[in-house]
Amino acid sequence: MATVTNWIDHLSAEEVVGAVYPGAGSMETTLVIIGIVLWLGWHVLTAKSESDELERLSRRRHGANDHKSNITDW
Amino acid sequence: MTDQLGALTTIFTEFYYWVTVVLMFLIHVGFCMYEVGASRYKHHQHTLMKNTMLIPLVTVTWFFFGWWIYWAFPTGPGIAPSIMNESTALITDESTFSAKWYLANTEYMAINLGDHISGVFWAAFLLFSWTAASIVSGAIIERITTFAFGILAIAIGSVFWTIDAAWGWHFDGWMLKILGYHDAYASGVIHAIAGGFALGVLCVLGPRIGKFSSSGEPRNIGPRNPWLVTVGLFLIYTGFWGFYAACNIPIFDLGPEYGMEGVTYWTATNIYVTPTTLSGITFNFLMSLSGGLLAGYWIAKGDPFWTYSSGLAGVICASAGNDLYHPIQAMIIGMIGVVIAYKLHYWVERKFKIDDAVGAVAVHGYAGFVGLVICGFVLNGYPSSGYSVGAMWDGTTYASINPLGQFLGAIIMFGVLGMLPGYIIAKVLHGMGKLRIPRDVEIAGLDYEMMESAKKDERAVSSATR
Repeated sequence: MATVTNWIDHLSAEEVVGAVYPGAGSMETTLVIIGIVLWLGWHVLTAKSESDELERLSRRRHGANDHKSNITDW
Repeated sequence: MTDQLGALTTIFTEFYYWVTVVLMFLIHVGFCMYEVGASRYKHHQHTLMKNTMLIPLVTVTWFFFGWWIYWAFPTGPGIAPSIMNESTALITDESTFSAKWYLANTEYMAINLGDHISGVFWAAFLLFSWTAASIVSGAIIERITTFAFGILAIAIGSVFWTIDAAWGWHFDGWMLKILGYHDAYASGVIHAIAGGFALGVLCVLGPRIGKFSSSGEPRNIGPRNPWLVTVGLFLIYTGFWGFYAACNIPIFDLGPEYGMEGVTYWTATNIYVTPTTLSGITFNFLMSLSGGLLAGYWIAKGDPFWTYSSGLAGVICASAGNDLYHPIQAMIIGMIGVVIAYKLHYWVERKFKIDDAVGAVAVHGYAGFVGLVICGFVLNGYPSSGYSVGAMWDGTTYASINPLGQFLGAIIMFGVLGMLPGYIIAKVLHGMGKLRIPRDVEIAGLDYEMMESAKKDERAVSSATR
């Protein structure tokens, strides 16, 4: 996986290769796909949990001042 | 980097942008404080989290495609040819400043020993993206779902503002060439578009419960913590300093850049690569801030919320031309922008029943719009780009700054790329039933369950004696 195994060899080469991260030149597209899946997956997961929370709270039909009973530190 | 002077210039530029990014982080800190201070107690935590989560959402999408759009779209596409390759297509060829190098899977979008600039420049623009999304966030507090806001934040932060930046905030942008558009510190490309986008969303979202009486009279829902709001605005001012610096190129030799043989002229430039100085824009930043504060204090009769917001609106209004204005011009323009934005805010609220919770549409949208128009008159005749002087690449010339071009530019920023997409996306989200929280939740408070679940421990702690 290591792209660089010896800095002296790397920096003294006729043309120094700039990309030094693991998997340079081979892993980038895979990493982008994984990143996009994680991003979209986050939306799906959090949208569902938010909908559930809003529905649950909506059913309880609290009044506009009910939240004050939850404030204990005046 | 093999010679020391070249290395110093490169690493100075890298460090310069890095510092601006850190300073601009304060804009977001300020926006978070401001919004929480403006919201009511029962919505505090959700309000904070909504604005906080735009940071990762806009960041990852800016990495995936937002930055690419900026480099690909200067030509429209199809509106004006690029001065780099003479094509009106998306710029994705082998040109030096092609979007090809900024695809998320290229080696320049990572640590690269041969590239000291891409990451910090990407980040500087990203912080502008956060700002655009955060402006929208404030206007719609207490009734939008976090899901809907996430989608809207990505739309404004990683798509629409970056299109406008490509068109009007890029040395090769078609709006410079055809309209003579000039917007050095983003009156339009950040503020007018974000304000317009917020207005489009508000038209669909509707007001908070209780904002308007049964007869339609607006009621004031003032900030619940004015001190948090005002300190937040102070922090936004502070971050705005960094923003101004980030809009400049710190050191550049314009001689060869403009094709002037034998001429060497090192200077700072604005985003269009025309000369200005960090020192000069410091005059103008402070004078336009002062103009805004003076006018705001007067027109709002000393109300701290509006006075602080007016300081910001003053800077925003003068920003389009603050690379060239005289400081007193900047001050007067800031004053004019504030008076118009303030009056327009209350007129729109009353006439169209628009509930802009923090005045974001006014401070950013109206002041930005007015600033662009004024800039067209004050800077009428100035070149919109240095590349119109002499032969540069293909010798293409650019229109000069002019009132009509600036007015059309303001329409494009506020209306075409701001309000219209905001309205359409909000309509779609509304149609899906995902835009607004249920009425009963709004009444109970978004934080109800969080507060309730913590109640037992809180009670025990508050009555504890040991």
